[in-house]
This record gives sequence, structure tokens and C-alpha cells, in this order.
Amino acid sequence: MRGDRLMRDSRVLVIGAGLAGLAAAVEIAGAGLPVLVVDQAQAPGGAVHRQPLPGVRSIASGMQRRRWTRLMAQINAQAERIEIRCNTRFGGMDYTGDALLTGDGRALMQPRALVLATGARERVQPRPGWTLPCVTTAGAIQAELKTTAHPPYGRVLLAGSGPLLLAVAAELVRLGRAPVAVIEAGHPFSHPLSALRLPASYLIEAAGYLLRVKAAGVPVLTGAHVLAITPSADGLVVRVNTPRGDRSFGADRIGLHDGIAPNDAGLPVDGPVPVLRLGDCREALGARAALADGRAGGGRLAAQLLGRAAPDPSADLDLQRQAQRRLGAIYAHDGLTRLSDLPSDTVLCRCENRTLADLRALGSNPGARGLRLDGRFGMGPCQGRFCAEWVGRLSTPAGLPLPHIGSNRWPSRPIPISDLVDPSAEGLEP
Amino acid sequence: MSDRLDHDVIIAGAGVVGAAIAWHLARAGVRVAIIDATGPAAAASGASDGAVSVASKKPGVMARLASASLIYTHDLAAQGPLQAAFAARPAHIFGSGAAELAAMDTLAAKLNHLSGRVRVVADGGPDLLSGLGTGVDRLMTLEGEGHMPGHKAVRAYLAAPGITCIWPAPLLGYEVADGFVTVRLADRTLRAGQLVLALGVSSPDLIPGLPIVPRAGQLIVTDRGPVGALSGSLTAAAYLVAKTQDGAALPLLPVVIDPLTSGQYLIGSTREDHGDPTRVDFATLRRLLTRAATVWPALRDRRVIRTFAGVRAAVSDSLPIVGPLPGADRVTIVTGFEGDGICLSALIGREVARMLCGLSPDAALAADLAALSPVRFSKNRIEGAA
Amino acid sequence: MIAQVFWNGRPVPFCEGETLGSALTRAGISDLGRAPTGQARAVFCGIGQCQGCLVRVGTRLTEACLLPCVDGLQAEPDAGGQTDA
Ligand SMILES: Cc1cc2nc3c(=O)[nH]c(=O)nc-3n(C[C@H](O)[C@H](O)[C@H](O)COP(=O)(O)OP(=O)(O)OC[C@H]3O[C@@H](n4cnc5c(N)ncnc54)[C@H](O)[C@@H]3O)c2cc1C
Ligand code: FES
Repeated sequence: MRGDRLMRDSRVLVIGAGLAGLAAAVEIAGAGLPVLVVDQAQAPGGAVHRQPLPGVRSIASGMQRRRWTRLMAQINAQAERIEIRCNTRFGGMDYTGDALLTGDGRALMQPRALVLATGARERVQPRPGWTLPCVTTAGAIQAELKTTAHPPYGRVLLAGSGPLLLAVAAELVRLGRAPVAVIEAGHPFSHPLSALRLPASYLIEAAGYLLRVKAAGVPVLTGAHVLAITPSADGLVVRVNTPRGDRSFGADRIGLHDGIAPNDAGLPVDGPVPVLRLGDCREALGARAALADGRAGGGRLAAQLLGRAAPDPSADLDLQRQAQRRLGAIYAHDGLTRLSDLPSDTVLCRCENRTLADLRALGSNPGARGLRLDGRFGMGPCQGRFCAEWVGRLSTPAGLPLPHIGSNRWPSRPIPISDLVDPSAEGLEP
Repeated sequence: MSDRLDHDVIIAGAGVVGAAIAWHLARAGVRVAIIDATGPAAAASGASDGAVSVASKKPGVMARLASASLIYTHDLAAQGPLQAAFAARPAHIFGSGAAELAAMDTLAAKLNHLSGRVRVVADGGPDLLSGLGTGVDRLMTLEGEGHMPGHKAVRAYLAAPGITCIWPAPLLGYEVADGFVTVRLADRTLRAGQLVLALGVSSPDLIPGLPIVPRAGQLIVTDRGPVGALSGSLTAAAYLVAKTQDGAALPLLPVVIDPLTSGQYLIGSTREDHGDPTRVDFATLRRLLTRAATVWPALRDRRVIRTFAGVRAAVSDSLPIVGPLPGADRVTIVTGFEGDGICLSALIGREVARMLCGLSPDAALAADLAALSPVRFSKNRIEGAA
Repeated sequence: MIAQVFWNGRPVPFCEGETLGSALTRAGISDLGRAPTGQARAVFCGIGQCQGCLVRVGTRLTEACLLPCVDGLQAEPDAGGQTDA
């Protein structure tokens, strides 16, 4: 079928202009190899260093700003060898080594190596009403704050579990819009001893957030779970189960968050050229680890491509991994067991609008194929990013391995057909 | 049958063919079990288009069998297991250039000769179908064909009472002795009066030397759009050439655009004899979509959300293999349906069930069914050896 | 003159560099119509992963949260509205 082989490109293709991708680019370019970095967002930065719009004052901390300035200076120092194209989406790499880019930097190319640094996805457990407008991820609220430095309209409620909730709450307080409540499923403040074994930087940051949120009088309910979100005459009503009984809150905007996981749907595992996953895309360990992983991975890849000895692995990464493990233990809660108690009409798959009842209709242990073909779970355009984990857990008897129901082959995101068939992009001439 | 047996009949392979046989046997009161290495519709049946098409079949045996199967599929959909699986819909064939136009003439003559359920209801220029783009000289619309996703058919057949489903359970081997078949699975053996091997492209694993070529085909699925924008399948006449004249040089890319009930499009397909289902590539995707979007411009507004390849079991002489396995009493082989198994499954299911119950085939089809017998290969082998 | 985009014909101001999703959110527009499955369309992940915020620009569907605003851009809810058979 293939008469039209592409010339191998001399560049290393890096997907994702966040900390990991850019740090890798600096190392690879520093070794003398040309790099093309693409990102689907409007500007480099990724999750942590999402940049303010032109003219907007950054809300980033001094430490964050210094880290970013340093990294961008390193990128600029290598400007000859690093090209960054934003508004450009990676469709995937096929078995022949062709990589498809759509959007502003449309191209079909055969890179010399592929670095996947697509960051994390937010884990959000299904809850009744989680598909309503104005219910977003907590990360979406954070992204808004970073780009516009403006709090969202009205009463904000944050719910789920993990350190991000307090971080976003603290930002909201600082911008003058204290959230109506933070609903945390875990009991993070009842572990003083294990908490002390976290790196100091974690503790200082977290304590700062907590102080600010508490000082503003924001109720922080721990061991608490959202039971349902319903629309009301003036916004949304959130019903919350707490250890001391159920409560209700009115809100105009809800941010949900249950942790992060690699954003790796549809990404190749290997290929005819070296493929490397770095940062949260490989293991969701957060910003510090992403930077370290990007650097170390970029260095390793450059050494491999140039036939040099590999540099020593980064010790920093292990440190961050330990810290994340402790954080996980600190925030541990029974939220997952609540999944199976959800009302049967709770939507599990947002794309295909499939509910818990639809899942149960498949019988016990339907397996990946049954879930996909008969249940249509994980078959929508998000490639299972937001349902696969929960559907897998709910449909698999305890002790058995979870079925893989997301996509593990390209497209890693929907590919507009017009982008693909229209001529006039690099490598895409008919 | 006797109590020494676990089942009267064991069917190995829960594709659409095995499932159809199981349903017909269960309905006849036969104690039937169906086993599969993976699960239902795990191979070709779960990775195919699902056109129930007479138009695409080679004139002769295949066209006659497909025509009969189509009529029977309509029956099973009217009041039977296929109600939710099969959807009748028009089939539009388009052509451009002399070779494709000639293929369309051949098609019209074939359908006329068959005088089955499929009729040409329109034949003319591109203005016959609104929404059509450029690159079409002639358009022909057929009535009577339909679409049936393989996995839906398998699920529908196996939902019937009286079928024991066993998976994941690879068939490791079998022995015929003392009036029954012993079937070996990883964790147990089962005894049955008869064994049916409906293993699709894996058939040579159990029957070495079977002349089956794994022929891969890449398929593309789009996101959802408005339902009903395209009333039926839109098939390049080159596809008819590809399926009816083996090895023929194709005039143009044989693309098929099938609108699904969800508002998605399924676009296929290639014929690649490497048989590797992991080989799905952008260059091919682009070639298929370029012709598809030229002919049906609404596709330009859709996005590709999934691609995959299915592997068809092609036979050296392009006919399926259906019948008792020579030299192995009590074993029946049913495979080699290449790109036609969904279409033929209803009829083959019925006829193989009759065969296993000791009934003679539908008289009108007896000769055509006989042409599918595996005996044709054992003869060649004997002659070759002599 | 303020730069603006149009949502369903209604003018919505935007800041330089802003995405459509962000401009709509700031304007208090959260309901982006309905998907063909009947599911509400709205910004959810905000970063182009969930496909919840698809809107129509011309004849194409695109993620509002990734689409850069340009003056005069016209966007509408998806026509869809059908459910799966
Ligand atoms: C791209 C493509 C497009 C197609 N389009 C159409 C179309 O439009 N119309 C049409 O009519 N047909 C079409 N087909 C063809 C159709 O899908 C097949 O002819 C049909 O599905 C074959 O069914 P089957 O039951 O023979 O085989 P399969 O569906 O392959 O089933 C065989 C089963 O045997 C199991 N198995 C294998 N080895 C073992 C073992 N040792 N033990 C136990 N189980 C085992 C497998 O897991 C599998 O479930 C298409 C095929 C492809 C690939
Ligand atoms: S909000 Fe998730 S893709 Fe735009």
C-alpha cells in the first residue's frame, strides 16, 4: 500500500512543551541534535507553567517564575536547534515511523526519535451530575486562573482528593474569591508523622495553602464525599456526605479532582525509531520530577542517538517518587469503594453517555472487548481518558488484572479529516 | 445422543459463523457448547465492516449463496435473533473512468441474472445522490442490501437459551475415537458427538496445510455527526473489481464508506496479504480518506477517532471451506470466508446445523454448498502426491 | 474597538491570546449545546483532553478550550442532537 515513503527527518520530535518536554529538548539540542517541540496549547508551559495572556500579571510563585525563566533561557540559548510549534496536535506515530501533526504545524514526518511528554490527565471519579455545565476539573479552574488571573464567576466549590484542591483554593482566596468549601475525601491532616517525612518544599507549600484557606474561613471538610450535583434555580446544589452527616452547598462552579495519571492514551510504546516517555506522561510525579526526568531522559536519548555512554540516572526522581508515595498514603480514602454504590443512572463514559446500568447490563467480567464493542465504553473521542479506569475497576472482579479498555494505538486524539487530506502542508503533498 | 457426552456438538470459534451455527443447533434442541480462545467476536467478526452485500460477490457460487443468505438474514431480522443487529439500507456504487464503469455494467447484469432481493433502483449521473462531491461519473443505487456489525450479530445469536459459552479457552487439540470427539482445553477435556472448527484465520493451527492466507484490511472510524446524512453505503466500483477478479490491477482505490446508526462513518479497506493486524499506517489512511472525502465531502468535517486492521481468512481458490473434514469422522470445518463471512453467516449457520443433524441441504443450494467442501483440497493433495 | 467573537450570533469580547473556551466562560456562557449522544457539551478538562467542549466553527467541530480567538470568529453549538440506535 505504500509507494510514498517519507524521507527520514533529522529532528527529534518532542510532544509537549511542558517541563519534561522542554528540559529534554534542551539536553538533546545541547548534544548537537535538532529538535522540534510541538504542543496543542497556544503557548509553551504545560500544566505547571501555563502562561498568562499577554498583559496579564502572572500568578505564579517566585520559585515557579525563576524555574521557568531559567528553562526558557536555556531554550533560547539553543534557539538554532530547537523549534517550538504551538497549536499543533500530535495524532500519533504508526508502525512505519510516520508521525502525524495537525493544526498550525501540520506535517507527516519521520522523526529521528520520538519523545512523549504529554503530561498528566486528571482523574475524576464519576458522580451524579458531574456532566453538568459549570462542573469542570479543578485543573481547568487552575488553568483559567493562570491565564487570566481572574477568578471564575460566582460561588466556587472544590471537591475530590489530593493536594491540588488546596492549591487551587488558596489561589482563589488570593484573587478574592474564597471557595464556599473544599470537600476532601481523605484525611490529610491526621497524619502528622508521615507528613513530616515529606520533602521540606512540599510541606512549606502545603502549609502555606492551608493557612491561607483557613484564614479566609473556608470550610475544609475531610473524609467527605460529593453524593450528587443537581441544577437549581440559581446555579448548582452539591450534596455532600461527611463523617458528621450530609450537608448541602450552593455553587456556581465546581472543580473536581481525584489525582493525576499519565496522559498516554493512544501513544506508541515503541516504534522503528527510539520512543521515550518522560515526565508525567511516563509516571505522574509532578513538576519537580518532570523537570528531572526530562533532563535525564533527554540526555540519555541524545547519548543513545550519538552512540555515547549514557549519563547517570537522576537520584532526584527517586526522591520525588517516594514523596508522591507518601502523599498518596496521606490522602488515602475509601472513595473507590463508593463507585459501585453510585445510582445506576450515573454516567460513566461522558463521550458515549454510558451509565453504570449500561455497564451492569454487560454481565460480570465482560472483558476489554465486551466493554468496548458491546458496551461502547472507552470508544468515544477522549480515547477512554476519563472512563477507562473506573469502568475497568467496576467491571473486574477483585484480584483480576484490570482490562485495558482505553486506546493504545493512534490516533491519540481525534484527527480532523480535512487536515489529513488537504495538500499544502509539509510532508503532506499528494 | 448419549450421556457419555458433555455436549452433542462443540463449536470452536465464537465468530459470526460459529455463533450462527450454535444458534441454529440450539433451536433444533441440540446440546451445543461454543468455545473461544479469547471471547465472542474476538477476531475478524469484531474487526470488520459488516456489509451484507450481494453486489460485491463474484458471479456464480458466491453470488448465489450471498443472495440466499441475504434473504434469510432479512427473515432472521424480521422476527428472529438479528432484529437489533441487521439494518436494511440502500447501497450506492460509484465509478469513475472506463474500468470502474465496466465493472458497474457487469454488476447490473449479475443482479439481473440472480433475480434475488437486490435490485437496481437508480442508475445515472452523480446528481442522483445529493451531497455527492466530485470524481464520480456514474452512480448506481441498489435496494435490498443491509449492514450488520459482526459483534452485534455474535452477541444476538449467543443470547439464545441453550448455548453453553466457554472462554477464554483455546482449543489445544482433539481426538476422534470410540464414536465421539475428545476436545482438549488447557484445564480440562470435553467429550462431544461432533466438533465444528470455525476458527477463521486460525484454522491452519488445528488443520495444518489448509490453504488459508491471512489478508489484513485497515478500517477507519469517525466521530459522530448527524445521523442519516448518507442513506446507505457508498462503495467505489473498484471494490467490485477487487473482490470479483482476483489479482486484477485496480483502476482506482477501492474505498467503501459505510454510515453507522450512531452517526459515525466506517471507512475501509485494504487487502494486504501480510495478515498483520498491527500494521495500520497514516499513508494508507490518507489515501483511503482522500478518495472518500472527494466523493463524500461531508467527511471533511468529521474526525478520525479510531483505526484498526482486521484479518480475513482468504482461501487460495477464493471459496470458503465448509464440510466434513476428510479423514476425520465427526469433525466439520467451516472457514475461509474472507470478506464475506458476515453476509454468508446466516445461511451457513443454518446449512451447517442441518448437515450436523443429518439433514440434506436446501435443494436449490445443494450444488453450491457442495462446491465449498474441503474435499477439493484433499483430492489435489492426493493427485499431487501421485 | 474591542475584539470580539460570536457565539451563536451573540458578541463575546476576548483578550489577546485567549481561547474560545476561556472567553465564553468569562462571559458566563457554560452551556455549549448537546452532543449527538444527548450529553451536555461544556468545558470540563479545559486542556483539550476530554472532548466535552466541542463547538462548530463553519462546518468543523473543534475543541473550544484549544481554539484561539480571532476577531469576528463565529462559533455555534454542534447541530447533532441525535441519539444512538
Ligand atoms: C477489514 C474487514 C472488513 C470486512 N468486511 C466485511 C463485510 O463488509 N461484509 C462481510 O460479510 N464480511 C466482511 N468481512 C469478513 C468477515 O468479518 C469474516 O468473513 C467473518 O467475520 C468470519 O467469521 P468466522 O466466524 O469465520 O471467523 P472469526 O470471526 O475470525 O472467528 C474465529 C474465532 O476463533 C477463535 N479461535 C482461534 N483459534 C482458536 C483456538 N485454538 N481455540 C479456540 N478458539 C480459537 C478466535 O478467537 C475467533 O473468535 C470483513 C473482514 C475484514 C477483516
Ligand atoms: S474542555 Fe476538555 S477538551 Fe476542551
